[in-house]
Amino acid sequence: MASVRRDRSERLWLRYLILGSWAIVCLAPMLWFLTIGFRPRTEIIVPHPIYWPSWSLDAWRLLVSDWPIASYLRNSVVAVAGSVVIDLVLAIPAAYALSRYEFRGREDIGFYILSTRMMAPAIVAVPIFFLFKNIGLLDTVWALMLVYAAINLSLVTWIIRSYMLDIPKELEDAARTDGAGDLTILREIIIPACLPGIITAAVIAAIFAINEFLFTLLIASTSKAYTMSVALANFTGGSDGIIYNAIALVSFLAFVPILIVVILIQKHLSRGLTMGAVKG
Amino acid sequence: MASIQLNNIVKRFGSFVGVENMSLDIADEEFLVLLGPSGCGKTTTMRMIAGLEHPTGGQIVIGGEVVNEIDARDRDVAMVFQGYALYPNMSIYDNIRFPLRMRKVPADQHDRLIRRAAEMVELGAFLDRKPGALSGGQRQRAALARAVVREPQVFLMDEPLSNLDAKLRASMRVQIKHMQRQLKVTTVYVTHDQIEAMTLADRIVIMNRGIIQQVGTPDEIYSDPANTFVAGFIGSPPMNLLAGEARDGIFRSEGIEVPCPRTVTGSVTLGIRPEDCTVGGGHLQGMVYGVEPTGDITYLTVQTGKRAVEIKAARDFRAPIDTPISIGFDLSRLYFFSENGERIRRPA
Ligand SMILES: Nc1ncnc2c1ncn2[C@@H]1O[C@H](COP(=O)(O)OP(=O)(O)OP(=O)(O)O)[C@@H](O)[C@H]1O
Ligand SMILES: [Mg+2]
Repeated sequence: MASVRRDRSERLWLRYLILGSWAIVCLAPMLWFLTIGFRPRTEIIVPHPIYWPSWSLDAWRLLVSDWPIASYLRNSVVAVAGSVVIDLVLAIPAAYALSRYEFRGREDIGFYILSTRMMAPAIVAVPIFFLFKNIGLLDTVWALMLVYAAINLSLVTWIIRSYMLDIPKELEDAARTDGAGDLTILREIIIPACLPGIITAAVIAAIFAINEFLFTLLIASTSKAYTMSVALANFTGGSDGIIYNAIALVSFLAFVPILIVVILIQKHLSRGLTMGAVKG
Repeated sequence: MASIQLNNIVKRFGSFVGVENMSLDIADEEFLVLLGPSGCGKTTTMRMIAGLEHPTGGQIVIGGEVVNEIDARDRDVAMVFQGYALYPNMSIYDNIRFPLRMRKVPADQHDRLIRRAAEMVELGAFLDRKPGALSGGQRQRAALARAVVREPQVFLMDEPLSNLDAKLRASMRVQIKHMQRQLKVTTVYVTHDQIEAMTLADRIVIMNRGIIQQVGTPDEIYSDPANTFVAGFIGSPPMNLLAGEARDGIFRSEGIEVPCPRTVTGSVTLGIRPEDCTVGGGHLQGMVYGVEPTGDITYLTVQTGKRAVEIKAARDFRAPIDTPISIGFDLSRLYFFSENGERIRRPA
């Protein structure tokens, strides 16, 4: 008995060691990256790395004084969050229909939805520009929200559908004999049962949206609608050269909202991603 | 509170016939048990009554109303599913409550009804748990509680006790029967367990390959089987079925010679229940193949030719294997079946 217990605690100790080392390997680049944001510019472009930074708030000052960083961040958050909400509102009923009802061309619709994802975005860039120009939404977060939603809708639908396919049909049969209608079944049975899938899809959509560059650049022409991803590009050109420390800082700030979201829903997400992995 | 009629119900899945031309009249307040081997169409029949499966042909009538085109949610039916079908995100309490909410039972009655149902299945202590945190048998009881929490027109129970241990099963059995008598709700019940079928049923329906073999009271099914399928399905061990030749009022087969009615001739099958055989008597000569004492009774297997015949012998019967033995039949309890398996009945 005693030897068994020691065996287990030894293995536990080993497990922590391995996991801890791996965590350091994963986190080191991020920490390094963060320190870049707090170094003076001169320290970044030296031929040999300086491991211990001489702290400086140069980049931070640059951002705060010359840069409406708060408004960029807000644009990002509003456009991304809004697009995810739109996606979920549209994708959940669509996925339910695709997973449950037999109708002619069901498989074709599935493929059609997915195929929107296969197209090179540049092909639709010009039409989209004129579309938003004509309805007067150019240079607004609303346009970004709609574009992000459109880009991700197919993927979100597809992921949620695959989760819904896994819910046993008997569950719905039971709900129906208990007296529930379609909408009640969707709300009370289906959505809770595939919540991990919905969350996974939402996070993936949010990551894609927050990183979106091409359409954002196209639609946002002033700081009114700039998002973090496009604003970043401002540091790469111009007479000042590439401002690495500012880029690092902004990248980090852009990454923080996603990090917070992921940590909050970590439990569901890890289950969601692995569940998705074994499914087709 | 409703009678059920199935009129020539057919259910096909593609070219596969799940239920074939089934007609059945279930009386109001009746407890009807469907019995049959796996895949014979029991669940399919239930699902059609519940409205979850649309019959390919025929008519389903509940309480005098043709319900073919009525959706499951509008048929006042409660069902225990073979796979439990508990809502995984809800606690057991909320699971049992779901039909009450959906059927608009006044909210102030919910708690009392839920607790009563949970008590009945001895699950009172588990109401806060999610289905995932229950054992298989507990889940099954939760599914049962969800069905019996309200008073529908019809109960449909698809093997509701299959996963319980013998003791619990016996007590649930009594409770289900008591409750059904009390509520007077027409009940269709599926089981593989013959004791369950015999004890619960007003009438039993024996099915095979989607076809009804016999409908009758437990007594009729047991002592008056319509064909070899029913005879060989009911009883444990079931009836011995011995093929042979009948001529001039004598049935002969390898090691067997018994008198039979003169109307029985040609290739026929003799049926005799294990409890209607006695050691000694001279109708069957064979060798002892196995002796299995169980305490209150001893199962004796006798081999004649290539066939094994089961006999229920006295509790203290013992015999070494491979010794010759003579078996007698109760001649008033012989059954004869024609070559196609149908019972040859004595002319009345
Ligand atoms: N949706 C379906 N599609 C095709 N065949 C089906 C379908 N549902 C049932 N069947 C077939 O119909 C037959 C009857 O099935 P059913 O579920 O009614 O059997 P059962 O009597 O309940 O069996 P068990 O005792 O194993 O539960 C089976 O052979 C089954 O394979
Ligand atoms: Mg079944």
